[in-house]
Amino acid sequence: MSTVALESNKKVWGGGQSPFNLSYGKIMMWYFLMSDAFTFGAFLISYGTTRFFSSIWPDANSVFKSFPFCGDMNLPLMFVSLMTFILIISSVTMVLAVHAGHCRDKNGVIKWMVWTIIGGIAFLSCQAWEWMHLHHHNAWWGAFRNGAGAESLPHFFRHDVDPVLFASGGADAAHKFFNFFFTITGFHGAHVASGVVLNIIILLNTINGTYEKRGHYEMVEKVGLYWHFVDLVWVFVFTCFYLL
Amino acid sequence: MSEFSHYEADQSALYSGEHHQDANSPDSKAKVKKIWMITLYLTIITIVEVLVGLYVSGHMSKMYVNSGFIIMTILKAYLIVKVFMHLGDEFKNMILTILIPLVLFVWFIIAFLMDGSFWLWINHHFTIR
Repeated sequence: MSTVALESNKKVWGGGQSPFNLSYGKIMMWYFLMSDAFTFGAFLISYGTTRFFSSIWPDANSVFKSFPFCGDMNLPLMFVSLMTFILIISSVTMVLAVHAGHCRDKNGVIKWMVWTIIGGIAFLSCQAWEWMHLHHHNAWWGAFRNGAGAESLPHFFRHDVDPVLFASGGADAAHKFFNFFFTITGFHGAHVASGVVLNIIILLNTINGTYEKRGHYEMVEKVGLYWHFVDLVWVFVFTCFYLL
Repeated sequence: MSEFSHYEADQSALYSGEHHQDANSPDSKAKVKKIWMITLYLTIITIVEVLVGLYVSGHMSKMYVNSGFIIMTILKAYLIVKVFMHLGDEFKNMILTILIPLVLFVWFIIAFLMDGSFWLWINHHFTIR
C-alpha cells in the first residue's frame, strides 16, 4: 500500500483511497482532537494571560496541600501527583488494550479496558474529593466577592506574600484563580467522564463479539486516541495550575 | 460488506486489524516491553517535576524553573503522542497536519503571555490610561 502511495502524487491524491493510508474514522478522530486541543489551549492561555496580568496570585503549594484521610497534614502537591499517576497508568492500560486488539486477543482487550475504566473512575473520584475539599474552604465559582469567605484567603497564598498587595488584590486574584480552576478542571472532568462512558460502551461491544465479527478492533484504537488526548490535556493542566 | 459510499471507497484495507500478530509472539512481547519502558520514563519525569515544584521552585529564578517545567511537559506530550497514540507510525504528511498547527499554537501561547505581562507593566508605569 505505501509504495503505491509514494509513486506519484496523482495516485495518492487522485481520490478513491485515503492519502494517509488511514481510515476515515481515525482521521476524523485526530482532527476532532485537534479542535478540542485548541479549545483547551484557549482556556489555558486565558488563564495564563490573566495570571501574568496580576501583581499577586495564589500559590499552588498552599492551595493544594491536603490528602484524603490525612486531615490537617501539609502534603503539597501529593494528591494531584497521585491523580496524574492514576491517569497516566490508565492511559498505559489503554495502549495495552489497543495492542491486544491488534493481536485479535479478545480477552486481553476486555482485561485492559476494564483496568482503563477503573482508572478513569478513580481519577474522577479523586477530582470530586478535591473539589469538595476546596469548596469547604469557601472556594467556588464567583467566590471571594465583597469580602465573602475572607477567612480562608491567607491559606491560599505564600506565607511571605506582600501584605499591601494581598490586602488590595488578594480576594480578586483568588476569585479569578478559582473561576479558572473549576472551569478548566470541570471541562476536563467532563471529558474524562464521557471517555469513561465511551470506554464502557466499547467494552460491552467487545464482550458481545461485535469487533471479532467485524474483523478488526479499530474502534478500540479510536476511543484509545480520545483517552490519550484526555490524559495529555491533564498533563498540561497539571503543569499550568500546579507547577508554573 | 462491500457496499461503500462513492466518496469513501473501500476502506477495509485500511483498518488496523490487518496487523495480525499472535499475542505471544516475540514481536508482540517486544512492543509490550516498549510500552512499559515509556511508562517508566513518564513516571520518572513526573516525579522530577513534583520534586522541583516542592523543593526547588522557591529558591531558583522563576524563569529557569518554569522553562524546566515546560520542557518536561512537552517531553511527556511527545512520548504520549508518538508512542501511545501511534502518531510516530503514521505517514509523514499526516504527522505534519497535526504538528504544524500545534507549533503555531506555541506562538499563540507566547504572544498572549507577553501581552498579559505587558499590560501589567504598563498599568504600573503610567497613570494616564
